[in-house]
Amino acid sequence: MSHVMTTDPAGPTSTDDHDDAWQPTGPTRGSGLVVFILSGVAAVAVPALLYLSLNSSFNFMQNRFPAVVTGLVAILIAVVGVFLLYTLVDYALKALPGTIGDRVRPFAWCGPALVILSIYLVYPAVNTVQLSFLDANSQNYVGWANYQYVFSDDAMLRSLRNTLLWIFIVPVAAVAIGLGFAVLADKLRRLESAAKSMIFLPMAISFIGAGIVWRFVYAFRIEGGGQIGILNAIKVGLGGAPVDWLRIGGWNNILLMVIMVWLQTGFAMVILSSAIKGVPEDILEAARIDGANEVQLFWRVVVPNIMSSIVVVFTTMVIGVLKVFDIVWVMTGGRDGTEVIAERMIRNMFTFRDFGRGAAVAVFMFLAVIPIMIINVRRFREEEGLR
Amino acid sequence: MSATAPPVEDTQDQKAIKGTEGGVGNPTTLNIVRVIVGIIVLIWLIPAIGLLITSLRTPGAIASTGWWTVFTSLGDTGQWTLANYNEVLASNGFAGAFLNTLVVSVPATIMPITIATFAAYAFSWMEFKGRFLLFVFVVALLVVPLQVALIPILQLYNGGPSFDISWISPVVSALTPYEAATVTTGIPLSLNGSFLGVWLAHTGFGLPLAVYLLRNYIGSLPSELMESARIDGADHYAIFTRLIIPLSVPALASFAIFQFLWVFNDFLVALVFLGETDDVRVLTIALNSLNGQFQNSWHLLTAGAFISMILPMVVFFSLQRFFVRGMTAGAVKG
Amino acid sequence: MKFRSRIALAAVFAMMLAGCSVEVYEEGAFAGGGPGASGGEAVQQDDNTGTISIAGAATGTDGEAIQNVIDEGVNANADYTATYTGSDSFEQNIVIQIRGGTPPDLGFYPQPGAVVEQAEQGNLVALEDMGFEIADLEARFGKYLISLGEFDGKHYGMPDTVNFKSAVWYNKPAFDEAGYEIPETWDDMMALSQQIIDDGTAESPWCIGTGSEGATGWPATDWTEDIVLRQAGTDAYDNWVTGDLKFDSPEIKGALETFGEVLFTDGFVYGGHENISSTDFRDAPDPMFDDPPKCLLHRQATFIPAFFPEGLVPFEDYDFFKFPTIDGNDGVLMAGGLIAAFSNRPEIADFLETYTGEEAQCLYGKQEGSTSISANVNVGQDCYDNELIGQASVSLIEALQNEVARFDASDLMPPAVGSGEFWNGMNNYTNDGPDNLDSVVQDIDAAFPAPGEEPAPTESGSGS
Repeated sequence: MSHVMTTDPAGPTSTDDHDDAWQPTGPTRGSGLVVFILSGVAAVAVPALLYLSLNSSFNFMQNRFPAVVTGLVAILIAVVGVFLLYTLVDYALKALPGTIGDRVRPFAWCGPALVILSIYLVYPAVNTVQLSFLDANSQNYVGWANYQYVFSDDAMLRSLRNTLLWIFIVPVAAVAIGLGFAVLADKLRRLESAAKSMIFLPMAISFIGAGIVWRFVYAFRIEGGGQIGILNAIKVGLGGAPVDWLRIGGWNNILLMVIMVWLQTGFAMVILSSAIKGVPEDILEAARIDGANEVQLFWRVVVPNIMSSIVVVFTTMVIGVLKVFDIVWVMTGGRDGTEVIAERMIRNMFTFRDFGRGAAVAVFMFLAVIPIMIINVRRFREEEGLR
Repeated sequence: MSATAPPVEDTQDQKAIKGTEGGVGNPTTLNIVRVIVGIIVLIWLIPAIGLLITSLRTPGAIASTGWWTVFTSLGDTGQWTLANYNEVLASNGFAGAFLNTLVVSVPATIMPITIATFAAYAFSWMEFKGRFLLFVFVVALLVVPLQVALIPILQLYNGGPSFDISWISPVVSALTPYEAATVTTGIPLSLNGSFLGVWLAHTGFGLPLAVYLLRNYIGSLPSELMESARIDGADHYAIFTRLIIPLSVPALASFAIFQFLWVFNDFLVALVFLGETDDVRVLTIALNSLNGQFQNSWHLLTAGAFISMILPMVVFFSLQRFFVRGMTAGAVKG
Repeated sequence: MKFRSRIALAAVFAMMLAGCSVEVYEEGAFAGGGPGASGGEAVQQDDNTGTISIAGAATGTDGEAIQNVIDEGVNANADYTATYTGSDSFEQNIVIQIRGGTPPDLGFYPQPGAVVEQAEQGNLVALEDMGFEIADLEARFGKYLISLGEFDGKHYGMPDTVNFKSAVWYNKPAFDEAGYEIPETWDDMMALSQQIIDDGTAESPWCIGTGSEGATGWPATDWTEDIVLRQAGTDAYDNWVTGDLKFDSPEIKGALETFGEVLFTDGFVYGGHENISSTDFRDAPDPMFDDPPKCLLHRQATFIPAFFPEGLVPFEDYDFFKFPTIDGNDGVLMAGGLIAAFSNRPEIADFLETYTGEEAQCLYGKQEGSTSISANVNVGQDCYDNELIGQASVSLIEALQNEVARFDASDLMPPAVGSGEFWNGMNNYTNDGPDNLDSVVQDIDAAFPAPGEEPAPTESGSGS
């Protein structure tokens, strides 16, 4: 999504002293405890007020007005109200004496997000870690047994191998195609918007729809029957015998990844396309004057300029791949060596009803994200340093 | 919008519209580009075309021949039908389900955007200790799978989870006449089955990506902009509303699309927090219930998938013009 | 600063929490300890709320049939309204709802194993505690079905409608033309199969397809179960279900070898045994109606005619016979479900009584497109508009009364086996041929949870 790159090699890098300009001045000691408490209050204020106002308006209007009216008013509050609440809190901060308001402000602004996240994601994550040390019914402590399962069960090991493959193949393919397409479509004048829409289209198809779409690609019928899968129809048309694609060990994984790439390239394309449009024209011109051709321009100017967007897309995709389960679930159910770890997690939790093992797989997923986060931290520091 | 963002005016003379296009003047190159783009579009479209054609065929035809055979048997009108669409549209409570989906999606798209934009600004342009770690922590939360979050949240909605704080029981029994064995505590939110509960859940689940994408964008806006605004006497709130929001429209629009799509096509969150009863169920649940236990009602599911695709595509098209404006912001830097 | 601000957040949040509700349970008032063991409320009845919420796995036509029967047979004459909601993701949803603390009032479970599991965890109300006499229910459903929901001396599952699984469908015109007779025994059936090849009546005698996306393999488990039930007998079948009789035992391996006679005899299966798991079970019977037919026989439950090519007439174009006897042993394989109650209110007991009664159950026969058969032995053949189902119901009720009817074993086994390795094992067996039978049965046995892993049946855990 970033159009603008901070690692802009030609652009002027700002001085470091501006950071200080943002630092509140004045006495910082003594009022520490006040700031500390107010930060907490400010962070909780927006979510709490939002909940209270919406809840009371729902309660007040329920059964008094038609459902549609209730819905519309609530939508209005939800849409406009959130912004107003921040404004309100900010005015309150300005009214505070001295620099207290300035020191509290960062928490008032990012705090609501953190509070909501700690309820909706941090708390469940902690809960999951707890569950991973308990048995199937979450009643007895079993130590590391569930983790032993993660690293010893055959299907689990296969899923680890497969997920690793997915991580190496899917994000690279989706980013490469998305980026290439964005660059090429950028050169088209009138058709750009239409072409981009077509790549985006799969993202709009509901998952149920996508499952059916791909069943009509890979479907198999015994030789002699009418093929309803396009791949087999082509193969038969060329004189071959039909194949059950999703049963061919190894290849079946690739074929499932194709579906993910098909679904996700639109995401990469939308973000990278707008990033490319943000590459400053004068840098491109300068490079052209230096005699660079379009290919060199792409690799030496465009790619470095949009690197932070590439990292963002890549990170999002890797995490998306770690969590992917529905494609496998719907197409093969993990048969014939197509297991992936998120599929194992869901299978253990809801089919085998073993929450301990399911949670252990989830915890493994949490840990697997650490390396990619380290890359992001580095990137973040680099970017800030250049600002 | 540029009227409210003075620095943008600097770019007006850059004629940066359609950015890099200037490089390709050669018609042969342009044709090659057209062909490559065309091929990729075709590959991407084939499955979707299959979906459209399938949704217009009779169940018997779907099961017996491939969808592409319609091109060789155009004369066979017996295989075509609009009945699938009629059946879906006339199915029990379809209109209500569509309305419910809208009531869920609009706030569930805008709430996370608002909250994330403020947070993204704080993470980008405010100095406070720990913002690196906090930000990365927020991004790392992307990895928490929805499925592990559902049960704890449902407990919370239901009157609170039982946090076992029995370790304070000695304290309790010392101070009070009670012998406490298990102490549970929670907020009686009573959010289960309410739209508010779903909005907040979608907000929570959508925030990590929103903060990540928006911080990447807002953080890469040129610092000179902020500084000059600062010198003009603008405070954070003024910079945020007059400068950051107008400049971030492309980023906000793209996240809006992704979040809208996700909420619109979501099945699980709506199923768990809203339920399946006719008055609250959303489109995905209504469509899914058309499918029989042993049946693959492909004819209905494809028609349903197509109907539910229309609105997201309209949203995409209507927001797409905002993406192009992105370069205005980008050009500032140069 | 960062650390302190976190504490600040936590502290404020904790204050909010504390301000809202803190419940202190006194020692002794809470027998089980830990969530889920809230069995204490099971015996005391709550008040009538006027509504009953029911969740189940049946959707589409079957789901509509359930709601219709409830509306006509129960709601019409009751002071409460019961609403059924079917979901494709019932299995996952009900687990989330139970753990989240919002279970429906009743669950129509397709797998009895899951009912017993919930009973173990103390989430269910026993039929005894709702005032049912088990002897009455045994008279209504036969002893076997009632015993499926038994845990710790109490019964938790009320039998729901079932599907008749022991049916072999055949192409009637071709059958009659060739003058074949309905085989009475397994050996007759094998002889018939050979004769079909010899006569060239069809390319192969059998059409078998076990493809079913994530659940691929289940039709082969049904085959196996039908054979085990007859060849090894009901006692062996029951021991097999509980895991006491291993897959790697002469009885079960013998049954699989018998199944192998169909699978691996050259030319017996249309498309060959390698393609069985690649063929969708819904498509599998289609070649039976090609002209000339590619096969004549297809074993599948009574729902399958819905997937036959359009325009075929029952009794004219197709018919079924009961899966033949082996060594003189008869049996009927069925699948269906148990109804489990999560709350105890007077109207719920009343609902269960009325819904499973003859009058309401008879209505299932009138539902268009429904192939459900009532498990109530008093529901007569004339209830069923669909004659095929009527015939099946006679066989089923007879078998229930003779106690040779058995529930689909894969739905009774622990899910890691019944919804996992049993399917996989069958796929490996049909794909790779008879030589790997040993490794197939050993792999399935390995998936049974080790005895230590079973949640210990603690005295206190079962609540009051």
